[in-house]
Amino acid sequence: MSNVVEARMLSKWYGQVIGLNNFSIDVPKGITGIVGPNGAGKSTFFKLLTGNIKTNVGHLRVLGEEPWQNPSLLAKIGFCPDYDFLPPDLNGREYLRFVAGLHGMEGLRTVDRVNEVLSIVTMTKDADRAMGGYSKGMRQRIKIAGALLHDPELLLLDEPLTGTDPLIRKEIIDLVKDLNKVHGHDVIVSSHVLHEIERMTHQVALIYKGRSVASGDISEIRRLMSDHPHNIVLEGRGLVPLAQTLLTKPYTSSIELRPDRLGMFVRVDRPEEFFDALPELVAGTGAELERVESLDDDLESVFRYLVG
Amino acid sequence: MSLNLIGLRTVASFSARKLLMNRRWMLVMLLGGLVALVMGYAATEDGANMDFASDLMVILLLAFLLPVLSLIYGASMIRNEMDDRSIVQVITAPLDRRFSYLGYYIGLVMVLCLLVTVVTLVGGLAFLAFSPEREGGAQLIITFITLQYLGVLVYSALFLLIGTLMRQPIYLGLIYIFIWEGFIGSVPGSIGNLTIRHQLMVIASELTEYGSVAWTSGDWAVSSLALVILTIALVLAGAYVFRQEEVS
Repeated sequence: MSNVVEARMLSKWYGQVIGLNNFSIDVPKGITGIVGPNGAGKSTFFKLLTGNIKTNVGHLRVLGEEPWQNPSLLAKIGFCPDYDFLPPDLNGREYLRFVAGLHGMEGLRTVDRVNEVLSIVTMTKDADRAMGGYSKGMRQRIKIAGALLHDPELLLLDEPLTGTDPLIRKEIIDLVKDLNKVHGHDVIVSSHVLHEIERMTHQVALIYKGRSVASGDISEIRRLMSDHPHNIVLEGRGLVPLAQTLLTKPYTSSIELRPDRLGMFVRVDRPEEFFDALPELVAGTGAELERVESLDDDLESVFRYLVG
Repeated sequence: MSLNLIGLRTVASFSARKLLMNRRWMLVMLLGGLVALVMGYAATEDGANMDFASDLMVILLLAFLLPVLSLIYGASMIRNEMDDRSIVQVITAPLDRRFSYLGYYIGLVMVLCLLVTVVTLVGGLAFLAFSPEREGGAQLIITFITLQYLGVLVYSALFLLIGTLMRQPIYLGLIYIFIWEGFIGSVPGSIGNLTIRHQLMVIASELTEYGSVAWTSGDWAVSSLALVILTIALVLAGAYVFRQEEVS
């Protein structure tokens, strides 16, 4: 089996709201990032993978099996949702014992495994504290520990970095990489921030408005991003000669100069070429730039571009 | 032990613990205190005896506290976990959802049995503490605790199912308790017999000689069988609904 997930023309709707729409994707082994803005359908995809909901249309295989009403498949999947569901009155160790029981684990083997996963997520020290007092990062790690406990083949981590500070993000990113490299789990991890995913894996799928708009190596996605037209704001002095020079360049499609001549909007077809040439153009025209900002560098605009 | 049995035990014990840790115990204490107060006060009245105690227990415990407690705990048990999404841990475990449901049911029954035992003991002892007549009191308390255990089995199955089916189960539960069990149940004729409370009173008539409940007409064996069949049917229906339910 080369792919851990195969989805073909999946659609899922909740009444009038479409969660996924003709969604197709092949997820290979290793770490795969699912990237998309909020509401794109990432969580719906995870709920389908875990069999919490069923597809309205389409074909879905997880580790070669249909997930809906298939509890035995869940023995091979570990799921860490994006929301907080941990009971505040239990401590971390009690919570993991609860999870172990749900997976049919008991006895000494469970005690050893609980200690092992606590060590993997570096929560041994805080395992006996009530989870109500945990920080966001600790809660994320104990959730990941719960997903790891039964040693699943496939780990599903839905937005594990949301709400964490930079230090915790780095720890979780390193942990996700280790879970694949050291412990051999295949991982599907979602985020709405591309560069976060980029630090974990080069294998990425982009979801937008319930559809898979691109998937593959991140360098391909980057190329798509750099190929799509950008609107760029330039502010400063001496912009008129710069605007005249830019209009002669093949990558410039339009320029709108502000009435005060202290700012302009430039629309370029190939932003990489524009940004490469800009320092030379500025020096050649004597312009003094105070601000250069692309208005289309966010994922949302890339998605809009990709879906036309 | 199989995965499903370990899982069932885990769901039962953790859900029971969750119910007991819930702040609703303050409401239970309040209701228990009210029962104790009413029974203690009633015991000081002229002519207070075991018949009087039995009638009080029917009204306070069988007709009111038992269904209300079952509704409060049963209807919200799975529904609250769906609403706050803490149910994710159970439904993403490799446990047949029908066993998970049974685990919830067993956890609910354990907690309700504990609560009705405590409240009945407190209320019964409050009556005995102030009553001039105490003979048969212990037997009456045990009878009503046993009856309520049977009631817990049925009401838990009913309200757990309603809570699994509906987003706002409390309203339907209240309508059931006060309209069907309360109002329809008091209508003369055979329609009044179609309530859980009536079937419990028929069984009570076999177990105690005190109070007007002892004169309830009906066959206690038929009532027992009816309640057992109803319980099984409701649990099976709930397990089926829970298995089919999409949890988003």
